This record gives sequence, C-alpha cells and structure tokens, in this order.
Amino acid sequence: MRIKKHPILGKLEEKEINITFNGREFAALEGESIAAALLANHIRILSYTEKRQEPRGIYCGIGHCYECRVTVDGERSVRACITTVKDGMRIESQGESPK
Amino acid sequence: MSDKIICRCEEVLLSEIVEAMKTGAQTEKELKLKTRAGMGICQGRTCRPLLEQIISFYTNKKIPQASNLTFSIPVRPLSLSALAHTGKDYKNEN
Amino acid sequence: MKYDLVVIGAGPAGMSAAIKAASHGATVAIVDENPAAGGKLLGQLYKEPKTGWWIGREVAKSLEEKVKRLGIDYFPENEVWAIFPQWKVLLNHGEELHTDYILLATGAAEKAIPVPGWTIPGVMSIGAAQVLNNFHRVNPGKRIAIIGIDALSLTVANELKLSGAQVIGIYLPPPDDFLDRISNPQQMIAYLSSLADAAPNHFLKFAGKVTQNEFIQKVSAAFYPYRGMKIWGIPLFLRKSILEIEGDKQAEQIKIAKISRDGLPEMESVKTIQVDCVCISGGLYPLSELASAAGCEFAYINELGGHIPLHSQEMETTQTGIFVAGNITGIEGAKIAMAQGELAGTVVSDRLGLLKSGTAIIKKAQARVEKARENALIKFQPDIEKGRELAVQFWDERT
Repeated sequence: MRIKKHPILGKLEEKEINITFNGREFAALEGESIAAALLANHIRILSYTEKRQEPRGIYCGIGHCYECRVTVDGERSVRACITTVKDGMRIESQGESPK
Repeated sequence: MSDKIICRCEEVLLSEIVEAMKTGAQTEKELKLKTRAGMGICQGRTCRPLLEQIISFYTNKKIPQASNLTFSIPVRPLSLSALAHTGKDYKNEN
Repeated sequence: MKYDLVVIGAGPAGMSAAIKAASHGATVAIVDENPAAGGKLLGQLYKEPKTGWWIGREVAKSLEEKVKRLGIDYFPENEVWAIFPQWKVLLNHGEELHTDYILLATGAAEKAIPVPGWTIPGVMSIGAAQVLNNFHRVNPGKRIAIIGIDALSLTVANELKLSGAQVIGIYLPPPDDFLDRISNPQQMIAYLSSLADAAPNHFLKFAGKVTQNEFIQKVSAAFYPYRGMKIWGIPLFLRKSILEIEGDKQAEQIKIAKISRDGLPEMESVKTIQVDCVCISGGLYPLSELASAAGCEFAYINELGGHIPLHSQEMETTQTGIFVAGNITGIEGAKIAMAQGELAGTVVSDRLGLLKSGTAIIKKAQARVEKARENALIKFQPDIEKGRELAVQFWDERT
C-alpha cells in the first residue's frame, strides 16, 4: 500500500520505527499518522461502535469525525488520523467486536 | 432501497429520522432530542449538512439563515482532566 | 499569555495572516489541532497549465518556515474548545491566550453522501484519501471506486492513478430525494461542461471537454453511454450509481445500477463489482462552530457551501475583533485563502497602529483577493460569484 516511488513526489525516505497494535508489532515511518501507519500494514478496523458493534475505520482523515479513535499508551480516544507515530508506541483498538 | 445510517456517531438510520419527522419533529433540535442524531462525539460535524437537507426536503422549507442547532462550548470533546487542569470555573463567563 | 493576534487554523489562510501581521511587528500565536501545518494544502497535488506542479505540502512547508522565522508562537496539536469575550482563547492542554484580535481560519469539513454501507472500514471521504495518498504516501486502496462527480473527485482520481492505485470508476451517488442535484445525470453533465472553461489542470479540462462534446450537448444526458467514458484511463460513469457498499469487516464490493433518464435506478441492471476502497465526494462546507459559539451572526448561502459568518470587506465578523479568512467564508481555492489571510493580517496590523498608510495598503490587499479570484482556475462551487454578492448584500443590509 505504500507509495515508495512517486512520479512527482519522488522516493520515500523516512526512517522506519516500530509500533504495536493490539499487541502485534508493526513497522511505521517517522512523521506519519497512526492511521496511515496502520493502513500501510493493511489494518482498516480501528474501533467498534457501541450500539451495533460494527467495525469503523478512517473516515474524514482530518480530525473532524472522531471515527478513528484508538487508545495510545493507555490514553483513550486519541484520533489516529492526526496523531503522529512514535517509536515503541502501543496502540489498541476501542470498543468490543461482536463475538 | 436499503436503509442507511445518517448520524455515524449515534448510529441513527434515515428511516428513524423520517419516522421522527412524521411524528412531529420539525427542526434540527427536535430531531436531535428525539433520535440523538447530531449528538455524538463529532457533534454533528459529519451529519449536520445532511440533517439540514433532510429537514428542508420533508418540511418544504428553506434552510434557515442561522443554524437552528447552535454550537455550545466546549466545541470539542474535552476530557475532565483537561478541564480540571485549567483550574478555573468557566461556567459563569458566557 | 497576551498576543496582538491569535490565529485559529494553520492552513493557507491562517498562516498567511499570521505571517502578514508578524511581519508588520504584531505578536502572533497560531493554533491548530493537526501536528502538521498546512491544513488542506497537505494533500494537494495537481499540474497547473502555466506554472507546473502545485505540490501543496511544499507550499505548506515554506509558509511554516516563515511562521517560525518570524517568531510566531505556533501551537500544533492543540484544540480550541472555547472563546470567551474580549477575547480569551482556551486550548485543551490548558493554555489561555488573551488578545484583542482573533482570526478564525478553521477551513472546511466535507459534506457526506450517505450510502448503505458507508460506515464500513475502507469507505472514506475523498479528502481522507487525498491526504493518505499524497501526504502520508499510503494508497487508500488498490481497487478504488469514487462516489460523487465534482472538481475535487476528478482531481483526486487522477492523483490516485498517478501513484499506482486502480480507480475502477467515478459514479453518481445513489438517487436520494433530498440530495437530487448531485445524483441527476443531466445536471451533472451541465456542471462538468462548465468546468471545461475554468479547469485547474489538464485532467479536469479534458473531463469538461468530453462532456462539452457537441453530440452530448445536442442529445442530452439520455444518450450519454452507460459504459461511461474514459478520462485519462479512468472511467467516468455519468449514468451509473453506486447503490450499496458491502463487506463484512471491510469494503469488499459495490452494487451499481444504471440510472434512467429521470434519475431512477434500473433494478434489473444491478451488478456487483469487487473493490477494497470507496471514496465519497460530497463537496465541502465552511467549518464555523467557533464563530457560532463566539456569537457571530450567520447567513446560509448555498453557493458558498453552507452557513458562513457575516463579515465586512475587511473580513471582520459581527463580533468586534473577530475576523475570518479562507474556507470559513466560502469554499474557494488555496490561493484565494492565502490572499484573504493576508488581507485580514493587514487589517489587524492597521487596527494595532502598525501601518502608516493603512487605508491604501488595505485597498491593495483587497485588490489582491479579487485578482486571486479572477485567476482562480478551479471553482469548487458553481455560482461562487453569486454567493459572494449575496454575502456582501447580507452584510450591507445588516449595517
């Protein structure tokens, strides 16, 4: 999913760091948002809704819709789309998935 | 056609909104109180223009100049600890 | 902390205003909830007919460098949760900024198009896809369908293709009685034809030309081919609509149907197509919640995208000391937002007594906004001129 080479924007040369999502380790690039890092690792589900326990992911991408709320290092309801990844960050999805 | 969600935060369906309008809700405020549409964590940022259009269509009235669903503070969800952190009582200021 | 000017929103309008005021000697703070400065600039990427590629993130970078060089206090990752009279700006991490002048440059949010299944992960707004693709450099999907035909969706479709994603088609939204303008083929074609004369890039110009085609003009929407037309390899379906998005844990397929002349889906024509991402493009509306909470008066002007705070030719709202610039005043391009920001920054500098011949300088800044409008290659809203006239009229009627 990563655009390593772009005809106009050139090569992607950011430094690789590590994050975990629901306990599993993934590679991320310095400076990108949590949402982008997870999507690059094919993770689309960031939370489950309260009423219908439906999966939700990135929707607005700029912090307006609050659909991408995740728990980051214990802090709840952090917006994945406008929060930058940091090395060693522990990220967890929110809400309960249907059994 | 299949039903669909209008308010993503509170998971309110179009059919529920139309039903609320049939049973008397005529403004955004009334719809909000009846269905919770626009009352979720994004505070209507995603569904408000839709609600305006739906109401305008079903009541056959123009969208009002002043938005009927007024914004109140905090305009963004604020954790209690963030509020406590300011150490002040802002209640009486506005 | 006390400042001469507090700017809310570090997009093209906000940063331009902050830079202008600070360069005249004002002490300025700028607040934004995003960690990266630039607002809507961050995702922009298109080729301009004369000046080559407009790379929004680079424009943002150069504005941010100026902000830093001028010693402007920049508060990224901070949200404004309240503005109290005369004036106190409260941030969620506890800071309290005091000022006589505030600029609200909060930009715009996207209008939704509700489609059954639009909450499934993998379905996102066109703006989210643009930022992921061009700023974060992650394709939002490999097989992407787009709902909504407008200047932004056509531009982003091209950007997605440029970076290697497959755009399987741009479709009409499902017919909805309360959303009829955007799902009616005939009106869509009229809108697209209007783009041809004022298109921001070769791609859009071509899209416009296709629909301006004499044949189509003469015989109307009814004869626009169901199979669509390819625009630079991307199928544009002016007579097909996405009725539903399906998928268990993420978007897997869409159901599409032909749309009859009178705008209704032909149910016997329904087909299922595999996708992993669907982008929704419903247009933008001014994000004005802070202006509302601060007590500014509003007008609803459809041509400008929705409710806008009433404002003077000097960009001041009905609340003394609260100014507006950029998309909060109506949906237009980044260059116009920058000119509006410079105007607001100039007016505030004048009010602070920092300008010698303020009136003349303000006039020049106003002329630059008009010039930017004349040169605007892209019109996000049809009839934007009419909207601007209405905004002036509403202001004049009030005073």
